Amino acid sequence: MFKFAPYVLKGLWRYRGRTILTVSGSAVALFVFCFVGAVQGGLERLTQDKQSERTLVVFQENRFCPQSSKLPEDYARTVSKLPGVKNVVPIKVFTNNCRASLDVIVFQGMPADQLRSVRELTLLSGGWADFDGRTDAALVGQSVAARRNLKVGQKFTIGEVTVNVVGTFRSSVPSEDNFIYTHLDFLQRSQGKNSVGTVTQLEVLLDDSASPDNVSSRIDEAFHSGPVATTTRSKGIFQRDTLSDLAELIGFAHYLGYACVGLVLALVSTTTVMAVQDRVKEHAVLQTLGVRPFRVFRLVIVESIIQSIIGGTVGIGLALLLLGLGGFSVGAEGVTIAFTPSVELAVTGAVVSLIVGVLAGIIPGWQAAQANIVTALRQA
Amino acid sequence: MALVEIRGLTKQFRKGDEVITPLDSVDLDIEQGDFVTLMGASGSGKSTLLNAVAGIDRPTSGAINVQGTDITKLSRGKLADWRAANIGYIFQMHNLVPVLTAYENIELPLLLLPMSSAERHKRVQIALEAVSLLDRAHHYPRQLSGGQEQRVGIARSIVANPTIIVGDEPTGDLDGTTTEQILDLVQRLNSELGMTMLLVTHDAKVGALAPRQLRLERGKLIEKGREVSVVSPTMHEQRA
Repeated sequence: MFKFAPYVLKGLWRYRGRTILTVSGSAVALFVFCFVGAVQGGLERLTQDKQSERTLVVFQENRFCPQSSKLPEDYARTVSKLPGVKNVVPIKVFTNNCRASLDVIVFQGMPADQLRSVRELTLLSGGWADFDGRTDAALVGQSVAARRNLKVGQKFTIGEVTVNVVGTFRSSVPSEDNFIYTHLDFLQRSQGKNSVGTVTQLEVLLDDSASPDNVSSRIDEAFHSGPVATTTRSKGIFQRDTLSDLAELIGFAHYLGYACVGLVLALVSTTTVMAVQDRVKEHAVLQTLGVRPFRVFRLVIVESIIQSIIGGTVGIGLALLLLGLGGFSVGAEGVTIAFTPSVELAVTGAVVSLIVGVLAGIIPGWQAAQANIVTALRQA
Repeated sequence: MALVEIRGLTKQFRKGDEVITPLDSVDLDIEQGDFVTLMGASGSGKSTLLNAVAGIDRPTSGAINVQGTDITKLSRGKLADWRAANIGYIFQMHNLVPVLTAYENIELPLLLLPMSSAERHKRVQIALEAVSLLDRAHHYPRQLSGGQEQRVGIARSIVANPTIIVGDEPTGDLDGTTTEQILDLVQRLNSELGMTMLLVTHDAKVGALAPRQLRLERGKLIEKGREVSVVSPTMHEQRA
C-alpha cells in the first residue's frame, strides 16, 4: 500500500484548496470536540474520583453557598471520635462568586499541618517555610496563577481578602489547581469579621474499613439536635449536588461533541465523494493496469483517513495546547471544574478522527471500486 | 496451441427494447509474436472485442483462453491480477495519471508485481529508453506534447513485459507526423522485441501496417474476405 503513497498524497495536493478546507473544517470540529470532552472529563474526575468516595464533606443543613454555611469548629473533635474516621479537617471557604462563573476564585483556609498532609500538592515556586512564617500567606494553584498572572511576592486582593503569594502549586486533583490555600485563622478573621471558631465545612477522611453511608448518618445524627444541623455526603456527591445545574448544561454539551463528529463525517465524506467523482476515469485506468477493486477501495479510504487525521491532529493539538496554557475552569458555590488536557482526550480524539476517516471513505470507496471499467473509460 | 484462443465469443446488450449483438460467436487465434489490427465501422464491436481480450469487459458467452487460462471465468480480483501480469493497454487518449511524472506513470504497473525497487527502476529506465524519453522522465503529463504522452503510455504498456499488448485507437488523437512516429515505435516493438500486438483502428493506413488484418462486420470477424473460423469439427459437434 505504501508503494501508492505518492499517488495518494499527490492526489490530495492536486485539489489542495478543497483538501485544506476539509482539513480546516475537521480541525475546528475536533477542537470543539476536545474542548467539550475536557469539560466532561473535568466533571467526571470531580464526581467519580476514588478519593472522593472515601472523603466526606460535612456542610450546614440546607445550605449551598459556602458563605451561608457556618459550622462550629469544635464539631471536628466530635466527628474525629466516630469509628472509621481517620482525620477531620476544618475548612473555611471564601469565594468571590457563588454563581456559575468562568473566573471563580476559591480560598480555602485550613490548618497548615493538615493542608500538607491531606492535599497532594507539588510546589512549583516558593516554599512551605514561607507559608508557615506568615499569617497572610497564600499558596496559589497554578491555574489561578496563570489566569491572574500571580507570582511569589505579590499581594493579591479580592473581595476584601488580601493575601501575600508565597508559593504556587500543582495539585494531583486538577480542580484544586483553581484554589488558593491560606491559614484557617487568617480566613476566619478576614473581611473585617471575626469568625474564629466557625468553619464552612468539615472534610472527613475515612479509613479503609469504614462505610461512607454509615459514617455520614452517624455524623448527621450526632448534630441533629445541636446548635447547627448538618448534611454529610461523600465529597463526590457533594460536588455533584453543588454543580447539579452546571452538570445538566455540561451533559447537554455532550451532544455538541456528537454534532462535531457528525460534521466532520459529512465534510470528509462529501469531499471524498467529490474527489472520486472527479476521478472516475482515473480509477478505471488504474483497474485496467491491474489494480484490484479492493485496492482502489483502500486507496480512497486512505485519502479520506489522511484528511480526517491531519485535521483531527491539528484540532486536537490546538485544543490541548489551549487547555494546557489557559488554565480554564468553571465553578459555582466554591466548587470548580478544571478543563485540563489529557492523554486520554488526545487518544479519544485521534480514534474519533480515524473512525470518521474510515466511515467517510466507505461509500465513495465502494463506488470507485465497483464502477464498470469500460463505461468509466468512456467518460470525458 | 495459440497464445490467445477465442472461441464462440458473444456479447449482447440491450438498448431499450432492442438487443444488440456486437460480437456474434467470434472465433480467433493469436499466435505469440503476432501483430494484428482490427478494423471496422463505428459501433462494429472492435473495442468490445479488444476489451474482452484485455479482461476489462465480460462477454455474454464464449471463452478466451490466454496461455491456457480462461479469463472469462476469473473473479474481478483475479482478473485484475491477471491483467497486471499479462496485459499492456495503450489508450487512445493516453490516460496518464496527471499528478504523477512520466517515470511514476510508467512505474505504476510494476507496483502491482512482486519486484524490488532497484528492479523497477531498471525496467522503467529501459522502457523510457525504448520510447526515447529518458530526458522527460520527471516531467508531468501537462508538460509533455500529445506524442510524448502517447510514448509514455506505450512505455507504461510494455514495462511489465506483458503477454500481449492491446491498443484502442492508439493514434486516434495524434497528428500525421506523430502518428507515423508512434506506428514506427509499435512496429519495432513487434519486430525487434517480438511483442504480441492487437490494435484497434478505424484508419485503413494504420491497419495496413500489420501482417494480420481483421475486420468486424455485423458481429462476425472477417480475415482476407472470409469469416475467421478456427473451430475444430469436434467442437462444432459439441456446440450443436
